[in-house]
Amino acid sequence: MNCKKVRRLLPLMAGSEIPKSKILSLKAHLEECSKCRQEYDSYVLSLEKAKEWLAKDRKDWEESDWQQALQRAIKDKKPEVTPLVPWPFKKVWAYSFIGMLVAALTLLFIIRPSIMQKKMGLGSEKFTQEQAQLLRSFQEESEQDVVSMTLVSKETGLKIVWFLNKNFELEVKE
Amino acid sequence: MKSEDELVEEVLCGNHSSFELLLEPYRQGLLSMAYRLTGNLEEAKEVCQEALIKVYRHLSRFKKGRSFKSWIYRITVNSAYDSLRKKKKYEDLVESQKKVGLSAGHDPERQLMNTEIKAKIETCLKDLSPKEKATFLLRDGEGFSIQEASEILKCSSISIRTHLSRARKKIREQFEKINFAETKEVRR
Repeated sequence: MNCKKVRRLLPLMAGSEIPKSKILSLKAHLEECSKCRQEYDSYVLSLEKAKEWLAKDRKDWEESDWQQALQRAIKDKKPEVTPLVPWPFKKVWAYSFIGMLVAALTLLFIIRPSIMQKKMGLGSEKFTQEQAQLLRSFQEESEQDVVSMTLVSKETGLKIVWFLNKNFELEVKE
Repeated sequence: MKSEDELVEEVLCGNHSSFELLLEPYRQGLLSMAYRLTGNLEEAKEVCQEALIKVYRHLSRFKKGRSFKSWIYRITVNSAYDSLRKKKKYEDLVESQKKVGLSAGHDPERQLMNTEIKAKIETCLKDLSPKEKATFLLRDGEGFSIQEASEILKCSSISIRTHLSRARKKIREQFEKINFAETKEVRR
């Protein structure tokens, strides 16, 4: 073992937290290397002192404070929630429920419009282009709000597009 | 003498006096731990109070056969972290730890010695991160094993070893500074 490796392990060796397999080689190194030995001794000393200081400076409760704290703990007891009552009392369950709800709503918003489009036959490229063209030409001419209604015949494929102003009056386009 | 599991059972059956018996061996340790983590005795008492309330409220969740000591220390450490987080005290921690001013009894000589020791501990712990400090205090202050400390702090034993190693390194550096200053003073 080289000095670099040994020095990395010295803080743990000072507290006897080194596995037995390594301890022999570490001890052998410390016998040979005075610098590492010195560092190890200083770790042991600082640790001993720190432990001693911590033991001397232990805090304790005044009896009245301790009794008061215990009484407050007992008084403050609220009924423990049993695992049989899941939501909304258990946080994890509540969060997972909210997560699932959000996911379901997101899926609904993503999937539903595409299904509707397919059902109504509005997904075809030709139709949307035509509709867009008509709308654009109308918007160029008038600033008024417009509502368009489209009727499509299933048998013949005939499309009739009506444009209505915001008062639902039929706009006639030449 | 009753075991901790028996005392827990008695408390759950409504015997309040058993709660005191159950916690009596840890009253000093819990307060000292909370004090070292928060750096303030009043705050430490509040942290312990919070922990005691949690212990009593959730005693039914304690699994028999497991270490009660580790369980209550975990609750106390978490309460201390919560308190620090709430008051955003991580930044002010070093400053508050520098302040000295706790009553240490009526004997002036002892008071002086205690103040001196307290200042030394605070100097040693001042550069430690909250995790390193908690690890060091649990292992070297309270005598928990690496495994127990990893259960209390909810991290791996490798991580505990790393924190412990760093903490001891920093403490050694501070200890050498203290020693150097003391030697210098004696020479004068």
